[in-house]
Amino acid sequence: MGQYTYEILLACGVLSPLVSFWLLVFAGPKLGKPAAGWVAVVLGMGVPLVLATIVLIGWLGETEGGRAALTAGAYRGTWAYIGTIPVTVGVKLDSLTVAMFFMVTLIAFLIFVFSIGYMKGHSDEVAGKSKYHRFFAYLSLFGFSMLGLVLSSSLLFLFIFWELVGLCSYLLIGYYFDKGFASAAAMKAFITNRVGDFGFLIGLMLVFMHLGTLDLDEAATVFAQQYAAGTGIFASHFTLFGWSLATIMGVGLFCGAMGKSAQFPLHVWLPDAMAGPTPVSALIHAATMVAAGVYLVARVYRLMTPEALAFVALIGCLTLTLMALIAIVQVDIKKCLAYSTLSQLGYMIFAMGCGAWIAALFHLITHAFFKAMLFLCSGQVIEGCHHEQDMRKMGGLMKKMPVTGITFLVGVLAIAGTGIPIPGAEIAGRKIGLGGFFSKDEILAVAYVRAFEWDDISKHEEHGEAHGAGHTAAPEPEGSRAMLVADRTQAEHHDEHQPAAAAHGAQSTHDSHGGADRAAIFKDMKKLPSWMFYLAIFTAYVTPFYMMRCWWMTFMGKPRDQHVYDHAHETPLMYVPLVVLAIGTFVSSYFLFRPLIEDASHSATSAAMVLATDGELGTEAIHAAHGWLRWYVGGAFLVGFIVAIAIYRNGLGLAEQLKKVFLPIHTILWNKYYFDEVYDVVWVKGCVLVAHIARFFDTYFIDLLVNLSAAVTERIAAFSGLVIDNHGIDGIVNGIAKTSIDIGGVARAPQTGRIRNYVLFATAVATVVVVCVLAFGMDSGSGAATVASSVAP
Amino acid sequence: MLSIGLTHYLVVAAVLLCTGLFTIMTKRNAIGILIGVELLLNAANVNLVAFDRFREGGLFDGQIMALFIIVLAAAEAAIAVGICINVYKNLATVDVDSARQLQG
Repeated sequence: MGQYTYEILLACGVLSPLVSFWLLVFAGPKLGKPAAGWVAVVLGMGVPLVLATIVLIGWLGETEGGRAALTAGAYRGTWAYIGTIPVTVGVKLDSLTVAMFFMVTLIAFLIFVFSIGYMKGHSDEVAGKSKYHRFFAYLSLFGFSMLGLVLSSSLLFLFIFWELVGLCSYLLIGYYFDKGFASAAAMKAFITNRVGDFGFLIGLMLVFMHLGTLDLDEAATVFAQQYAAGTGIFASHFTLFGWSLATIMGVGLFCGAMGKSAQFPLHVWLPDAMAGPTPVSALIHAATMVAAGVYLVARVYRLMTPEALAFVALIGCLTLTLMALIAIVQVDIKKCLAYSTLSQLGYMIFAMGCGAWIAALFHLITHAFFKAMLFLCSGQVIEGCHHEQDMRKMGGLMKKMPVTGITFLVGVLAIAGTGIPIPGAEIAGRKIGLGGFFSKDEILAVAYVRAFEWDDISKHEEHGEAHGAGHTAAPEPEGSRAMLVADRTQAEHHDEHQPAAAAHGAQSTHDSHGGADRAAIFKDMKKLPSWMFYLAIFTAYVTPFYMMRCWWMTFMGKPRDQHVYDHAHETPLMYVPLVVLAIGTFVSSYFLFRPLIEDASHSATSAAMVLATDGELGTEAIHAAHGWLRWYVGGAFLVGFIVAIAIYRNGLGLAEQLKKVFLPIHTILWNKYYFDEVYDVVWVKGCVLVAHIARFFDTYFIDLLVNLSAAVTERIAAFSGLVIDNHGIDGIVNGIAKTSIDIGGVARAPQTGRIRNYVLFATAVATVVVVCVLAFGMDSGSGAATVASSVAP
Repeated sequence: MLSIGLTHYLVVAAVLLCTGLFTIMTKRNAIGILIGVELLLNAANVNLVAFDRFREGGLFDGQIMALFIIVLAAAEAAIAVGICINVYKNLATVDVDSARQLQG
């Protein structure tokens, strides 16, 4: 297919759910109960699934070079300018996009179909109006947002779609908003996500400010250059908690993932989100949206410093352990699966932090399949058991729900990492096993190497590349600046003296901007604490236990509640998607996705930072670890299963006894380490306290100032009005008037109106004038003389 | 025998003038005042004619001026009597002290 064919097909796939959304928003009530759902199935996800399949088939047909060319030449347009920096809109087209796009559309399509069956039996009347069409409108909007998120080439658009999926999550958790707990859970999810997204926004702004672009690829290139040269963001001396600015940027971006993927301190919203309809839990809160956090980390992997990755590993490790332990004591079937989701997300994040980029994404995709399936099974169970979610009231449902029971078991086997670790037991060159068997093994192998043998690997690599002189092999904790300088020299050496190695780097990364810079980042990665590995492997044993416990309590043993048991039944519209997903679980474990992700790792990450058990990305140590770890991890599922079956084989009696023995531990786990309580005290009550303080401040300080200024103004006004205005200004005006009157009175006095007086004045004046003229006038003498002379004769 | 000279005329004119002024100042009757004014004008006429008579090479211009004044006095008298009639119509008297409406 041509350069832009992929982009157009994918873009149509993104826009189709949007069309469905608008259609359902405006025409939904008229379409009515089943029709609105089918619109969403066909237009909302059917069309994207077809397009995604076409794209996948086309993509698998491309050669490696062809794919690289397509990735490099993917569509980029300028959407807007911020100052002089263009904000690009485009399609991130690589194997990861194609794989994710296909995975999301396939799972979403099946869940849409399942939803029709699920919603059939649910009352959807609120205040006399049906909200049925809303459910599918929101699902369509979610489809649009999630696919847009996968396709975004720019961090800005990633963020926009990121917020959109958050919104859809909020809307769908609160679908039963007439039940108080659902709307409370929706708000909790939304607000907790805001905390993470705030970090994301900080990271985004740091990227924009220091790397000068929001395009993922450009940002990665600039970042690698700045890392090698120690300029830009690495030239900043700003630190927080001992982190450099570049690390803060990476951690900030990761905070977004922590919120969306519900990682350790922000995990509290996900179990509550189970208040939403079960298809929503399957689609959004198990398969796709919560995995978006892992996808985000995968996309910004090239912007992560070693310190940031260490933080990622720490958070992932805490999440995977703590949440798995809570899952042991859960009795609500959905909550149990929710904590298992949290734990598995923790595995993915931990894998990202360790450098097992491929394993993390592989785990994401296999997990999406089997966890979606598990949730749909639980939905089928809940639906069949008349909305009963408590596993203590179930039991023995296998007879009533065989398809559900078997598909659930497939999910349990997959999440537990079931497989045959014996050498030689292989199909087409791969071991026999299900999802977790491959991905979890790989994660643990990489984690082992990072925790125990990292220094050796570092040395080994260096000697192997034969330019180790003057460069200390083991990255020491102290010298980040010194390390940068050393790495820069090393990078130059690399370019000058190692053309072959450089060429190898370029070949493996499809990127001329140097494997050398990436090697520098790789070398700076520190050894991880060994307890992280121990926790991860411990959880690998816990996972099969709680999953088998969940399955056994639900489907095996004797029925514990006759009413629930009698009601139990299966619906074809609901179990068909289950079967398809079960097949998907098998398929996704073996082929298709793993090679695609491996391919994506070349271009989408710094190749040197990716560790894997096979290919050129692996090292001897990892291979060795993978080899012997297989016996410990590969057999874990058996241990977990046996323990679970032993405890729950004869009903809940033994479990109750164990609960009494381990009461303190059980209490802590039952209360989820009191996180909700602590958050309630610290954040909710804290907020209220701050509000009270603010109100106190407002009442007694701000109001005081306001009233004081009002009083002062009043006084000034009184002074100005009564004193200045009345006496000063009016005094001047009145004074002028009074003076005029007085002058007028004086001037009026002679105007008597009596003619005699006027004549008298006139005569008097004339007389005075004449007398003056005669007495003093210059001409008076001569004048008189003239008269005299003329009279004289 | 005492010859009548310019001075005599001037004295007569002055007496006339003073009589006129006195009349105007003392009379309250508008007609009386009018008569006083006539006396003033005639005093001026006497002066003009006298100067004309006693001036050498005169061209009778003083007498012509006197004729003008007589005509003027006639016109003035006509107007004044008209005013007097109107004042009487409005106030039923010709006492000038009563006609003070225009005084502020």
